[in-house]
Amino acid sequence: VSRVYVRGLGLCVPRHSGAVTWQAAFPDVALSEATGELLPPALRRRASSLARMAAAVAGQAAHQASVDLSRVPIILGSAYGEIVVAVEMMREFGGPTALPSPTRFHNSVHNAAAAYLSIATGNRGFSTALAAGTATPAVVVFEAVALLGECGGDALLVLLDEPPPSPFERAGPYPAAAVAFCLSSRSGPQSLAALSEPRRGSTTRADLPDGLERHPCAGAFALLAAVASLRSGNVSLGADAVGDWLVDVSPVP
Amino acid sequence: MNASPGAGAYPVTGFAVGNALGANVEAVANALEEGRSGLGPCPLDLPFDTVCGVFPEPLEVMPRSLAGFDTRLARMTLTIFGGMADEVGRAVRRWGRDRVALVIGTSTGGILETERAYQTHAVSGKLPEGFDLDRQHAFHGVLEVLRARTGATGPAYVVSTACSSSGKVLGSARRLIAAGLADAVLTGGVDTLCHTTLRGFESLQALSRRPCRPFSADRDGLNIGEGGAFLLIEREGEGRVFLLGVGESSDALHMTHPHPEGLGARLAMEAALGQAGVDAEAVDHVNAHGTGTAANDVVEASAIAAVVGRSALVTSTKCYTGHLLGAAGATEAVLAALAIERSFVPATLGADPLDPRIDIAVCLKGKRMRVRTALSNSFAFGGSNVSVLLGARS
Repeated sequence: VSRVYVRGLGLCVPRHSGAVTWQAAFPDVALSEATGELLPPALRRRASSLARMAAAVAGQAAHQASVDLSRVPIILGSAYGEIVVAVEMMREFGGPTALPSPTRFHNSVHNAAAAYLSIATGNRGFSTALAAGTATPAVVVFEAVALLGECGGDALLVLLDEPPPSPFERAGPYPAAAVAFCLSSRSGPQSLAALSEPRRGSTTRADLPDGLERHPCAGAFALLAAVASLRSGNVSLGADAVGDWLVDVSPVP
Repeated sequence: MNASPGAGAYPVTGFAVGNALGANVEAVANALEEGRSGLGPCPLDLPFDTVCGVFPEPLEVMPRSLAGFDTRLARMTLTIFGGMADEVGRAVRRWGRDRVALVIGTSTGGILETERAYQTHAVSGKLPEGFDLDRQHAFHGVLEVLRARTGATGPAYVVSTACSSSGKVLGSARRLIAAGLADAVLTGGVDTLCHTTLRGFESLQALSRRPCRPFSADRDGLNIGEGGAFLLIEREGEGRVFLLGVGESSDALHMTHPHPEGLGARLAMEAALGQAGVDAEAVDHVNAHGTGTAANDVVEASAIAAVVGRSALVTSTKCYTGHLLGAAGATEAVLAALAIERSFVPATLGADPLDPRIDIAVCLKGKRMRVRTALSNSFAFGGSNVSVLLGARS
């Protein structure tokens, strides 16, 4: 079994009372608004809310792990990506020019948040953007385990989603929220927990607050809760049409 | 000079492709050898003129069990996949369902249906009956369609990094197998025409009104196409060609403009060669990103010259298919595989007269030649770059 080690965590639940709940439960896990301070002002002005949220959690996790953001591989996971920007573009098709703004167009790609991070930090290395519905956290961990197996070192995982905007709202609402993990191929003094590679299985779903249980990346919030509370056991990273993907979490003493 | 498949080479045991040139490998290969472009009028109602690569009808009808996933993307996926269903079936039986992964690239997903749904809502105040954001818009819809068709139960995900998406899936596939997380991976990519990309590239003033002319002094922009390709990568097996290496990099510079010296492109090509342990001199052919835009072609040509020199024969196949965006990487990897398998490098249509700043061996006339190894480049918004190195069986 391939094992990887969590060295840093980041969490962002902006404009939502969930932030208070999480802070009470996990005071050691930093919380922030999605100010996107990692991004230089010119980039920040153009960045989508998703990209600013990604920058917020990436900065937190990298800081905790003492990881150099200009060198660490970036794996972004999101079920719906920049759906807010995409729907704004559709609205623009009915406007005077029937064309979107160029900035909105390039912000609509699924990898936009990872690209803003790469540009802001001068990171010329590996970066990718994945999606797999509610199994997105699981496949991001798969990609990370495979990448760390090949290259060693560290990887930055960012998982995030926003609720689809009108007219595509869902029956079960969830907040815009993001989480980040710095993973390492080796255990070290900063390691918080060891993770196994994902495997099929079933377990009780984590009790997440304030609509996060309906978030497409709910499995990533459950993983953060397990790591931050130094809990040992398995965590559901989410399910696809076949079933759940579990990861075994063991705190590193 | 090292050009042989090494220890880290994985066999490509099957592939399929479909685009404006035809719905299967044979039709596409024949058109390339005949130098026949598939570009033509755009079927979407747009407020400007352009030329597109349209997938030929008829598309496969969705089976009743997958009716909820019905989109043009899903139909195109099933149509193209039909060309290699037997090979994938054999891999699933050989390795077991849970050891076969799906890694698919797309940039558009089913957004064409979402655009239609949005328009319907704007007129009537209601979304179309049966419209399902998860099954039709979201990227995982296509994964479930392929799961149902293949029976594979391993990890399944979409890589969506704009125009590098389905080149990068080959990197993911390679890593999943190397790490022991899968024994076979069905990779590929598929994208459809849609308003989002056509109007978006028009807003960037990047679209040409006529068939694109990559590397030409007279080039004036790109054309968008639709289609896709799938490649089956296995741990072991009789490969039609071999996946030797995949290099991935970022420009870290700008959302839409390439690095002016092609630094990210160079890093990707060098990484692919380095991973494979293949000498640059062994590269006989490059299927270039070659969009036909002013900025891309000069920068890419200088990067190719810097990494593989000026002897490799370089083609952009976007003058046949249009730019397939999220499906470009896999499609062009298959076209590079066909160049190896059929010993034929297609011409870059309309490249003559070459831009004098482009100092590489652009293929102006289709050429029969032995191709030992071929690089396929894909570069994307956000400075995402991938270069895929394929090699012959021996």
